[in-house]
Amino acid sequence: MLTVQALESGYGAMQVLWHPELEIEKGSITSLLGPNGAGKSTLLETILGSVRPWGGQVLYENRDITFLSSHRKVEMGLALVPEGKHLFPNMTVYENLLMGAYLKKAYEHREESLDIVYTLFPRLKERSRQMAGLLSGGEQQMTTIGRALMTKPRLMMLDEPSQGLAPKLAAEVFETIEKLKSDIGLTILLVEQNADASLGAADYAYIMHEGKIKASGTPDEIKASREIREAFLGV
Amino acid sequence: MFLEQLSGNLVQGVVLGSVYGMATMGLSLIFGVLKVVNVGHGAFVMVGAFVALFFFNTLGLNPIFAIPAAFAVGIALGLTFYYAAIRKLLHAPELATLLATFSAGVLLEETIKMIFGSEFRGYNWDVGNIDLVFTALPMSKILAALGSVLIAVLLYVWFKRTRAGSAMRSVVEDSQGARVCGINVDGVYAMSFALGIGLTVASGVLLTMFIPVGINPYMGGGYTLKAFVIAVLGGLSSPYGAFFGGLVFGLIENTSYTVFALIPGVEPFALTRFLSFLILLIILLIRPTGIIKAK
Ligand SMILES: Nc1ncnc2c1ncn2[C@@H]1O[C@H](COP(=O)(O)OP(=O)(O)OP(=O)(O)O)[C@@H](O)[C@H]1O
Ligand SMILES: [Mg+2]
Repeated sequence: MLTVQALESGYGAMQVLWHPELEIEKGSITSLLGPNGAGKSTLLETILGSVRPWGGQVLYENRDITFLSSHRKVEMGLALVPEGKHLFPNMTVYENLLMGAYLKKAYEHREESLDIVYTLFPRLKERSRQMAGLLSGGEQQMTTIGRALMTKPRLMMLDEPSQGLAPKLAAEVFETIEKLKSDIGLTILLVEQNADASLGAADYAYIMHEGKIKASGTPDEIKASREIREAFLGV
Repeated sequence: MFLEQLSGNLVQGVVLGSVYGMATMGLSLIFGVLKVVNVGHGAFVMVGAFVALFFFNTLGLNPIFAIPAAFAVGIALGLTFYYAAIRKLLHAPELATLLATFSAGVLLEETIKMIFGSEFRGYNWDVGNIDLVFTALPMSKILAALGSVLIAVLLYVWFKRTRAGSAMRSVVEDSQGARVCGINVDGVYAMSFALGIGLTVASGVLLTMFIPVGINPYMGGGYTLKAFVIAVLGGLSSPYGAFFGGLVFGLIENTSYTVFALIPGVEPFALTRFLSFLILLIILLIRPTGIIKAK
């Protein structure tokens, strides 16, 4: 569904991505692991185009989308749940969700999308009139995922969705992600610090380090490899 | 006698203040969305004044018609300036956009000077006076104030009710959040900048109702300074805050003028200006985020 080839990008003169390669199967959860500063967020942002690619290729559903602008990619069904949430703090939960349905096609389907979001997160329905800035951390994360769902995506990239959440809430986030795959049929690219939980949910995993993909395999293969765990995951 | 004069000044302050407010909305809009401080603000106001002058003196048309024309001129100037310079400088250090807007101001001043010359000009649009018990006000000023309120209301409705307005609000709140919603953030920047300049140039038409002979290529400097005081009063990044900041500023300016005029040996005009900047200094020291909470 998504193929990344020899991607390059960075900030200013500093190159961060050094030709990572990955392949994401339709209907799967792919986990992307790696230490702080490995370039995981940069990779997701470069795929979406909020960080400008310098070179290489991103193929989405067999189309070259490398240099398309972000809003075109969102329109094509690519969604990003960014690190650090990026909600609209002075809008209500409902208004935040509706902003996700900004583009024409998503707007036409806003009622069904809203149903899907409220079924997945009944809590958000109760909180719909509350300002997003006043939500608890867990509720904010639900709203961010909900807002991304409102864009009617086919591929959702999540950047550390369990960050800063208590273990119980983090576990709920992972359950939600599995539901996005099984109930809604989304393809998922998941970036996480929490290697165990992430591997538990994933069908396939990539290990990133210093802007490159250093290893990949099924979760069982990764867990079984002492070398990978010690070198890149610190566990 | 004193009370009458004071209430007269209150009314005049509100009238002038609403025009000041409208004349600052563009500055705040541009700062709110792009975090760019338009140091050339006053020069865009000046362009609007010349549009009004051109309409009245050359075309012989009612200055009301100059408002949409000035707005259109501002949109065109804003888009050109955005794509020629601002867009490339958004991620550069702040000094870059300060220098760019400053030079745009100088460029406009010199261009207008080449076309129209540098003497002071004006026009007199006489549509009668309105007599209140305690003061008389020229109808043209009342119309300018009403026009300002109308434009502010339109902007508010546009912001709250239209798709483009909601895109703009979302970019103000979180541009990365807006981007992942599929909003063309660069397009919103261009639109906001153009709209901000459009409002600023249009405000130049309204301000001419208050300066019968003050139209000149270099008239903008004072408005830039006033707009900064007003914008800071209103919290800098909110156009509505700016509007209320303008009202407060108009009131202070007019009232203090009256009061200072009663003190023997004091030059009221100069002292009023001094007071404005004293206020700016005090606000920046105690509440740099502005005193009015809009929203
Ligand atoms: N906006 C930015 N400007 C400049 N450098 C940046 C920016 N964002 C990230 N970097 C740098 O790029 C490198 C990769 O950062 P990135 O955020 O992609 O890593 P990450 O794998 O997501 O890390 P983490 O696990 O901490 O989120 C780091 O060296 C970081 O300092
Ligand atoms: Mg990251």
